[in-house]
This record gives sequence, C-alpha cells and structure tokens, in this order.
Amino acid sequence: MYGQETDPDYPTKLAEFEARIARGEKIEPGDWMPERYRKQLIRMISQHAHSEVVGMLPEGAWITRAPNLRRKQVLLAKVQDEGGHGQYLYHAAETLGATREEMLQALLTGQAKYSSIFNYPTVTWSDMGAIGWLVDGAAIMNQTMLAQCSYGPYSRAMVRICAEEGFHKKQGQEMIIQYAQGTPEQKAMAQDSINRFWWPTLMMFGPHDSASANSDELIRWGIKTKTNDQLRQEFVNELVPLLHALGLQVPDPDLHYDEETGNWISGEINWDEFWQVVKGNGPMNAARLQARQEAHDNGRWVREALAAYGERHP
Amino acid sequence: MDTQWPRYEVFKQDRPGEPHESVGTVHAVDAEMALQNGRDLFARRPKCHSLWVARADAITSKTAEQLAADDAWQADIDLEAPTETYLVFQKQTERRGMTFTTHVGEVEASSPAHALQQAITTFPAEQVFVWWVCPATAVTRSEEADTLPMFAPAKDKLFRLPNQYRTVFTMQKIKRGKDVIE
Amino acid sequence: MNTNHQTALAQKLLFLADDELILAHRNSEWTGHGPILEEDIAFTNIALDEMGHAATWHRLRQELTGEDVDTAVFFRDPAAYRNVQLVELPHGDWAFSMLRQYLFDVYELVHLAQLATSSYRPLAEAAAKIRVEEIYHLRHTAAWVTRLGLGTAESHQRMQTTLDTLWPYAQQLFVNLPEDEALGEMGMAVSPSSLLEEWQHLTTTHLTQANLIIPTNHMPPTTDRADHTDHLTSLLAEMQSVARQYPTAVW
Repeated sequence: MYGQETDPDYPTKLAEFEARIARGEKIEPGDWMPERYRKQLIRMISQHAHSEVVGMLPEGAWITRAPNLRRKQVLLAKVQDEGGHGQYLYHAAETLGATREEMLQALLTGQAKYSSIFNYPTVTWSDMGAIGWLVDGAAIMNQTMLAQCSYGPYSRAMVRICAEEGFHKKQGQEMIIQYAQGTPEQKAMAQDSINRFWWPTLMMFGPHDSASANSDELIRWGIKTKTNDQLRQEFVNELVPLLHALGLQVPDPDLHYDEETGNWISGEINWDEFWQVVKGNGPMNAARLQARQEAHDNGRWVREALAAYGERHP
Repeated sequence: MDTQWPRYEVFKQDRPGEPHESVGTVHAVDAEMALQNGRDLFARRPKCHSLWVARADAITSKTAEQLAADDAWQADIDLEAPTETYLVFQKQTERRGMTFTTHVGEVEASSPAHALQQAITTFPAEQVFVWWVCPATAVTRSEEADTLPMFAPAKDKLFRLPNQYRTVFTMQKIKRGKDVIE
Repeated sequence: MNTNHQTALAQKLLFLADDELILAHRNSEWTGHGPILEEDIAFTNIALDEMGHAATWHRLRQELTGEDVDTAVFFRDPAAYRNVQLVELPHGDWAFSMLRQYLFDVYELVHLAQLATSSYRPLAEAAAKIRVEEIYHLRHTAAWVTRLGLGTAESHQRMQTTLDTLWPYAQQLFVNLPEDEALGEMGMAVSPSSLLEEWQHLTTTHLTQANLIIPTNHMPPTTDRADHTDHLTSLLAEMQSVARQYPTAVW
C-alpha cells in the first residue's frame, strides 16, 4: 500500500498513481501511494495541525481581556475553532498511519515544526484583529489551495477548515476597519499591529520558490497546486489596497505597484530572521513549547483516568 | 507512553431523512464520550440532526483500487456462520466536499468480508470509490430526544457565521468615500 | 411591578449574570491548555455558552435599569459584583474545574426549571432557552465526574479532595437574600433555599455512584453575595484592563 522505491513494480505503480492524480482522482486511505508521498503528507499535515494547536496560545491569552462581551464570545469561539482545525488535521494524518501520541511527542521534543507566526508575541488587543485579517487571511490562501489536494482526507479537512476560517478572517478585518476609524489611540494600536505582523505574515508562505526544496514534487503529486511566491503575491495584492484605503501604512519602504503585471511588489523579506525563528530562536518559541508541555503534563493523569475507566467499561 | 484514547468515526446527519455521512474521527474512551466529543467538534455550527459513532477499528474499508487489485479478501467467507446486521457506507463522488462516506443501508452477514460482498451486490452504483462496512452493534446513536439539547444551541451562535460581518460592504463604502474626496 | 419589585428583580438578574460570567471567565482560562484536544474544545464550548447566558441576563437587567451590558461588566468594581465565591476561585486542576462546573450545572438546571415558570415573561422565556443548553452541559460534566471518580486512584483522590473543598462553597448558592422574598411574593423567582433539597438529592446520588463521599461541612464561607475573596479583584483587574484603559473607545 505504501510503495518503496526498491520494489521492482515501483515505476509502473508510480506511473499509475501519477496518472490518477493527473485525472483529478483523490487518493484515499488504502490506495497505493509512494512511501515518500505518505511521509511528505504526514510532515505537512502534522505541522499544520501543530500550528493550529500552538496558534490557540497567542490569541487565547487575550480571551480574558477582550474589551466587550461580543468580542469575548467571538474570540473564544475562534480559538475553539482553531482547536477543532487541529483535530481535523491530526485525523487526516492518522489516516496515513501516524498516531496522535507520536505527533504530539514530535511537537513537544521540537522534532516537528509549526508555523513560525505563532512565535511572535501578541502585545495589544488589536493584534487579535491583525491575526484574524492578516494571518488567517494568509492561511486561507494556502488552505484554499490545499482543499484541492490529491489526498482525500487532507482535502476534506481543508474544505471544512476553509468554511470556518471565513469567520476568523472577517472578525479580524472588522476590528482593524473599526479601529482604523476609531480614536487616535485605536488607530495607532491598529497600525502598530500591522507593523509587527506584516512581515511575519509574508514569511508564512515559506521560502522563495528557488529555495524551496520540496516544491516540485509536491506540485507533481497534487499536494500543492501553487508555489509559495504565487500565493504570497496574491496575498500582497489583496491586502495592500485595502490597508491603504483604511489610511494604514504597509511597513515596507520598497513596496510599489508594477503597472505591467498589476502586482504590488514587496521589498525583500528578512530571511535571516525567518530562519532564526524556524530554528527556535524566535521571541516566543520557548514559551509556546513550554505552555504545550505544561498542558500535556497537567493533563496526563486526566487522560490516564479516563483511559482506565474506558478499559473497565467497554 | 502517553495515551490519546481510542478513535471513533463520527457520522453526521444534517436533516431528518438525509443519510448519515462520515465527517472524521474523535478520540474518546467510550461511545458516550465519543458522541459528546463528536457533537462539540462537528456540530459547533448549525445543521446537525443526529450523530452516530463507532470505534474506528470496527470499520472495514476497501477502496475501488483495492477491490480491483485482488479478491483474496473474499477467501475466508463462511456462509454457514451466524449472521448479524452490518451498516454499509459508500464514497460516491470525487467532488470536493467535507464528508467522506455516506450511509446507504444494511446487510446481514457473517463477517466483515461477507458484509462487503453482500454490500457490493445489494447496493450497486455506477461508481463507488470507497466501501465501508460496520457491525450495527458497534454503532451508538444520538436519540431523538437529544436533538434539541445537543444540536439546537449552535443555531444561536450567529457570530460564528461569516455573513454576520459586513467587511466587504464596509470596505466598498470606505473606498467610495475616498474616491469622492480625491 | 412596583419599584421595589423592579429593584429586586434587577438585583436577581445581576446574581445570575455575575455567576455565569465569572465562571465562564475561569473556564475560558483552560482554552488552549486542556488535558486533551477534544476536551479543550468541549470545555471551551461550556465557557462560551455561560458567557452567552451572562449576556442574556445582563440584557434583561438593562431593560429594567437602563445600564448598558458592557458598562455593567467592564466598569463595575469588584465590590459591586454579586457572584458567589464558588465561581471566583482559581481554576485549580482539572478535577477542580470539572467538579465545580458539575455542581453549578445541577444547581442551574434545577433553578432554571423554576425560573422558566416565572411570572415575569422575559425571565421565563430566557430561562427556558438557557435550560436547553444546560441539559447538555450537565450530561457532559456528569459523565466526566463519573469517569474521574472511578478512573484511577489518583483521579479519585483529586476528586475527593476537590469535593471536600467545593462542597461548602456550593452551599452559598442556596442562601436566601432579601430580594428573594419580594420576588417570591410576585411569583417571579423561587427562593434559592427551596432548590437545595433537589440539588442535594441529585448531586449526592451521582457523586456517591462515582465513589465519592459527601462532605459533612454544609456551612458556606459567607451568606452575602457582596463578600468576595481577593481572587475576584485580580480576575476583574485582568478582565477589565483593556476596556478601562481606553474608556471612550468603542471596540
């Protein structure tokens, strides 16, 4: 079921597999797939799942401080959704034979990565707006693409997530729109949030295509259908005019409009910072992992107690 | 080693009369908790009338590719053995969506392989991409009386719906205002 | 309704709202930190519902007093809060939060069944609606109490210790206050003490089945909802921080 390159039939089976993908068929659990396809998917999906779960922390920290009851309910519902998205994604990885025990272990030991965006701190309330609009907006672009992915369970998880993310993005955008037109303090707060989250959001799309090791294979196997740079450009094109219309600045002195292509061209991303954060040296890496570790440790007796009950009451 | 509990497949029915469809799994230690976790995971938003759960290891699955590859799975079917009821599910479409297999009916069979064989003859379809069979005894269902407390509350959480946020309209209004000034 | 009744009713709504809000706040502290992903989601759901209930009670109160809901929540000092001490205690371990929610759910369900018959229509309607959600909450927390009580030696021990701590605090929910007499006369709300027997019966039966021993201490730490622990002060300082820092802003 998981094809090894050493198998003499591998080339034939691989050709059939790639033909299925080219015809737009979905690969389902139980179908033949290259071991490398499985490995790549487990890596991507579990990383994505971890991002949702770790992503609960920076926003979760503001639930208790939301400035009115409606925003409080919205934020609570949103962070809960992120947990749900993590669950959908772990499920997709489980259909490939990965267990949640293993995946969580990989997260807690630092073997598995999660999106670097969550290693930046949330220091003001309007960061909730910036995360919703920029970070979730960027995530939606990636997720919309992945909803077409060749692996059935991943695709379905993405469709479900996309359907829910619309609310996440809009509640964030609603805040930034409102604060940009609010009191001078609110406007300054919104601008400050955009300043801090703009570049880390652009980094979310990953390295340039030229530096992205896995891109070709992922595209050939229908896991991705667009490149990192394509998605990043779509995001910049969508956001820049809206931010400008709100009277907000994009913190990029080199940003300019290219008449010929109709694209907004960004300055260069600080890739040193990107790799530093990926390697674990971001401002919040240690704190995020510590919070996950504590929840895991504090929950152990709970998980064990229910497991013991379940075994005695099948 | 840590435990994240066993997995249960969750089947959701959107409205009365419609079939239950598999939506994913939850981790839970028993069927009651699986039903509850299924509710909190898959019915946070409206459109749920009933849920079923079954231990993931109670389900036997075959893809069309697996069925075409060989029929060794039919080797051990014992037609003399006592039968029980199995639920049959099919993945019927390649269209993009958030559900996987759909409940199509029941068969009487002596084993999962027998159930699968029965299912294929009882529920023929132009194309079935994946078949699932599961003994009825492994399935726990929400009851009619549960529908209100389990699934009605989601209807009031309007703030979860994107159409409650008029961001597109507001942005258009702001842009128009700007155009006039310029 | 005369002024006295109106004042008493507004005060009663404040009791209801504050209990729900502060409990929701404590539960929401678990979001992202729960013992397993499924339960993180489920317990957050309860917090979200309770927050919605607090908003509902506050809106009914606003109709009587004119005080804006967010003003009441974010610009009221700890001394003016009227929640019971049970809900303001720090969230503790998972046994503590789960058992507290269970004890409160049983109280709420018994209470709401009565409030649903209130002669004050808006209150009766809100109670009937909230009750639907509470039926599910209790199903969830009762299932958890059973499993933790009967799970492992450690979970049982933690539950018993917690029960010993929480039991007296829970008794405060059943203390009659001056407002209750006026409301009782009008058929607007039953007195809390009249709910005690049913609550005690339901909790005792269920907890005993979970192998837990009912504590003998039935003395609440206080009988006055104006009395608080210092936990409420820090809780509200956090909850109100953004709103109070920018008092003229609309969020």
